[in-house]
Amino acid sequence: MTDTNISTNSKAKAIAAIVLPYLLAILASFVASGIFIAIMGFNVPKAFATILFTSFRTPNGFIQTLLKFIPLMLQALAFTVPLAAGKFNIGGEGQLIVGGIGATAVGIIFADLPLPILLPLVILAGVIFGGFWAAIPAWLLYRFGINEILTTVMMNFVSFGLIDYVATQIWRDPAAGHPTTIPIGAGGELPMLISSPPLHSGIILAIIVAVGVYIYTNRTSAGYELIATGANPRASKVYGINTRKMFLLSLIIGGGLAGLSGAIEVAGYQHRLIEGLQSNFLLLGLIIGLIAKGDNSAVPFVAFFIAVLEIGASAMQRTMMIPVEMVFIVEALVLLFVLLSDVIRRR
Amino acid sequence: MDEFIPQFVGFARLVVLAIVPFVLASQGTMLGGRTGLFNVAQEGIMLLGASLGFLGAYLYGGLGYGVLLAVFSGAIAGLALAYFTTTLKMNQFVIGLAIFFFTMGLSTLFYKFVVGVTLQPPLIPTLQDLPIPVLSQIPVLGEIFFNQNSMVYFAILFSLFLYYLLYKTSFGLKLRAVGENPKAADSLGVNVDRMRYFTAIVGGMLMGLAGAYLPMVYTGTFTAGMVQGRGWIAIALTFFGGWSPGLILLGSLFFAGVEVLALRIQVGGFGIPYQFLLMLPYLATILTMIFAFKWIKAPAFLGQNYDREKRSLS
Amino acid sequence: MTKSIVLQMEGIRKVFGTVVALDDVNLQLNSKEIHGLLGGNGAGKTTLMNVLFGLYKPNAGKVELHGEKVEIRSPKDAINNEIGMVHQHFLQVDSYTVTENIVLGTELKSWPTLKLEVEADQIRALSEKFGLAVDPDTIMSDLPIGVRQKVEILKALYRGVEVLILDEPTTNLTPQEVDDLFESLRVMVDEGLSIVFITHKLREVMSVCDKITVLRDGQNVLTEDRENVTEKSLVKAMVGEGLNVEESVVFSSVVSGAETRWGASEFGEPVVKVEGLHAQNEDSIVVIKDCTFEVRQKEILGVAGVAGNGQQALAECLMGVCPIHQGSVIVDGMNVSETETRDLLEGGVAYIPQDRLLDGFLPTASVAHNLILGYQRNQAYSNKGFLDWKIIFQSARQQIDEYTIMTPSAGDVAANLSGGNIQRVMLARAFAHPSSFLIAHNPTRGLDIRSIDFVYKKLFERKEAGAATLLISEDLDELFRMCDRIATIYSGEIVGILEKGEFDKYEIGRMMSGVKAND
Repeated sequence: MTDTNISTNSKAKAIAAIVLPYLLAILASFVASGIFIAIMGFNVPKAFATILFTSFRTPNGFIQTLLKFIPLMLQALAFTVPLAAGKFNIGGEGQLIVGGIGATAVGIIFADLPLPILLPLVILAGVIFGGFWAAIPAWLLYRFGINEILTTVMMNFVSFGLIDYVATQIWRDPAAGHPTTIPIGAGGELPMLISSPPLHSGIILAIIVAVGVYIYTNRTSAGYELIATGANPRASKVYGINTRKMFLLSLIIGGGLAGLSGAIEVAGYQHRLIEGLQSNFLLLGLIIGLIAKGDNSAVPFVAFFIAVLEIGASAMQRTMMIPVEMVFIVEALVLLFVLLSDVIRRR
Repeated sequence: MDEFIPQFVGFARLVVLAIVPFVLASQGTMLGGRTGLFNVAQEGIMLLGASLGFLGAYLYGGLGYGVLLAVFSGAIAGLALAYFTTTLKMNQFVIGLAIFFFTMGLSTLFYKFVVGVTLQPPLIPTLQDLPIPVLSQIPVLGEIFFNQNSMVYFAILFSLFLYYLLYKTSFGLKLRAVGENPKAADSLGVNVDRMRYFTAIVGGMLMGLAGAYLPMVYTGTFTAGMVQGRGWIAIALTFFGGWSPGLILLGSLFFAGVEVLALRIQVGGFGIPYQFLLMLPYLATILTMIFAFKWIKAPAFLGQNYDREKRSLS
Repeated sequence: MTKSIVLQMEGIRKVFGTVVALDDVNLQLNSKEIHGLLGGNGAGKTTLMNVLFGLYKPNAGKVELHGEKVEIRSPKDAINNEIGMVHQHFLQVDSYTVTENIVLGTELKSWPTLKLEVEADQIRALSEKFGLAVDPDTIMSDLPIGVRQKVEILKALYRGVEVLILDEPTTNLTPQEVDDLFESLRVMVDEGLSIVFITHKLREVMSVCDKITVLRDGQNVLTEDRENVTEKSLVKAMVGEGLNVEESVVFSSVVSGAETRWGASEFGEPVVKVEGLHAQNEDSIVVIKDCTFEVRQKEILGVAGVAGNGQQALAECLMGVCPIHQGSVIVDGMNVSETETRDLLEGGVAYIPQDRLLDGFLPTASVAHNLILGYQRNQAYSNKGFLDWKIIFQSARQQIDEYTIMTPSAGDVAANLSGGNIQRVMLARAFAHPSSFLIAHNPTRGLDIRSIDFVYKKLFERKEAGAATLLISEDLDELFRMCDRIATIYSGEIVGILEKGEFDKYEIGRMMSGVKAND
């Protein structure tokens, strides 16, 4: 048998089989939302051109896209890692907020420390605080068997109160009109990679983390146990995997990732804690994770695509007065069509 | 004592007023769940109901139009859930989240298209109280239960009706069987798919109505964050109420009570930072879950699709 | 006495994906007849009856009742045409009462209170008439399996069926209960019913059926009156040319008349020592009571019992999955209560769980993932915590060949496997690593005859090589064929242990219903 021929051929086919449904899904969602945009009386080609190409027209657009990409990808991983173990973490924004609070607290309290010490502390505080925030629902699941979907969502709402308290009572910046803390120490800021337009080094951190997550889930025995638990917790338990520990661990890792995204927002972008820093990252993270079908190696690519759409959508609102929520519908449609492509393939 | 009774009555009346969104959304969740269909899009469907409920009233000048639009949008959301999970056999949680995204996005989108961005948000008149003759004259109880708006009466009566439907009719026997063992129900000629479509649609309608209650009774306006987790809390309430209509109605008093209490303490001062009071309903929800998950038994096939032709592998 | 034709199925074809489950199959059922539908697993017996009951839509073929063509698109249509079916896996709502389960889906007279008193009385009358004793007011989940089956039959009778399909009805019954069932079937036939009796057991068709149809690989092989067939001719029809019947373990007793010619009886040292074992499940309900036994080298110890009497808990206690509450379990020198399941697997304990879908299978992972479940930290597959996928895939491909697992590749998602192939994955996993002790719980369920034979030979090979085996099975024939001793479990207790030579169906049947050996 001509083994090599067959394998290159089948490899190309396999890649096509993965990518093609995505392209078709994107196309279908653009057609569907295009009809909607047309009915609303807007210029459809111009709208889509804005959505798709704003990121690539100017250096600033591209840098903006990368800055959006960082929290989106981390939020998506915060969802997909627990998902690998069969757990739904819908608490990414709470974990981001609390991670941001942790990073800010360390950055303010130890403001005078030099960068080589303070920066790692700030980042680590974000990870630990985010992990802790997820550990609460994880523990409730471990100890009482409480559905994690509900508790992670509830913890989001609790965190809203917490950030408001921190930004208006503890470290309030009286000069700011919006609830905001005073800035963290200069040593806690992520160094810039490019100064104008500004791009901070959080992007490197994020990519390293994404690679690390991929290696962990796909190449290690521990990652195997995570995936086995997600595939069938009962069978995994029978074959010696401590599944309850896996649930706990996966949620805490997810929380840590979300906390990291909060720390990077603080250390890289805002340099202080601003209420509302979570933006709509949670929902977008969920959408990214679901479009990637929980595959950690696909998450960065999908996250970049969604970041492009988001940057394009803001531009579209500025120049064409089409509400940004329009792109949210486009994204939800992409998700729906990607899911539908699975159904079609099953038949 | 003289001061306590009027204060208590005032508080209790507000609690009963506040149960409506919880009760309606939760009964909707329960209905679907009793046939095995687990809707997790409450938060989004309620927001869309709030948006369309507001817009209907705003555009056509009558709350009834708003109610119709909200209920209709909920029905569509429920229909979509049923179609993708029952007919296409797609994962219920994933589809639920997708519907959550859609309804979230659409609610703001519709509002922006119709109202645009304004300095002063437009207002609609809120729902009037409808005291029930004679009954509202009963001391204490009359004020608490029978001097409310029509949606309060509807929520309570509909809950009682659901109890009757589920436990005292042959239809209810079939409905519950679908959630406990769809294959058994199917083998006895119960149409599993139709039952799931029915509960998903009616459930969605209730959630849409629950959302419409917010602008129509509380605020008179629509804002993107107005549901404030009530949809998720409704899921918690459904577990807390053991997936049974009567207990859900009772349990809603607790959730509404915490909500009203948090507002009351806030107004009263007491030196507690208001941020921590705002957390109360959510912390209370988590707390109740500890008990709920110890005691209750959810429908056996909750969240699972049924495929008649799937070959049983064992 | 001339018999009229009640039911005629003609040219039935059913395809699942690429698998042809039924290929031009015919069946004719006469009135007042018990018609045996015989064949191995995968022969298409259940599929054919699921078509008749409206659960599967056939790709071709027609169904006639009393000479008139009928369309059966759903169970509802089947019920309206007076066809009833008792499924092998009972279709019952556990939280409902017996009455509620039976009347579900029928027109109720108890409106508007749903008290169902009239219906309960009707059910009482029926159960008396057909000798199917059941209390209509009991909650389903409180009933033992034997009674649950009676409820299934009553469900059909309550609807006034003319054709009753029974799918492997004896699987979960004691020999005594089987006799009772057969008596009830005779009463039903006398009342005018016609019965299709699905089974893979020769003895059953010979003792209760009037007419026999044999299916093999989804095709008709033979239809004959019972008087015109012998066990030998049926065996031939069931297995075809592919299997050497003379060499097979499955039919050893039919062919040679002797129980079995395999298995030396010189046992070695005890490998497993269980003493005074008590265990509770998660709800603190006692599942294992005071179990004491040994399994020696070169020994196959059988565990007989009606399903759900603690067999799974016993297996899981020995695997370190179910916590041991009292007593001790020593397996190959390892104290199980102080050893992780993972270390037991590494230390030479292999396990074939009974519910392969629930307890042994990762549907969304690849076949290769499935084949290393429990061995993911084994040195053969991993190095310092990192998996070596190259080697994992190599050994996966090897096992796929050896165990004839039908899959396009080792990387294919396991959910695409059929039931029999999933079972082969379970077997490959259990046999792939050297083990001194194997727990096999219903290892042949869902396998075709050839694969069953393969499993039996593997078990005997292990035995000859000196390994110990605990064979838990609900199939008494299997236990009689394979075991050196048989322990019977009832309600979590070992009621008695019989040596080879004292095996007696009815004796074990008594123990299966809780009667102690010397009572």
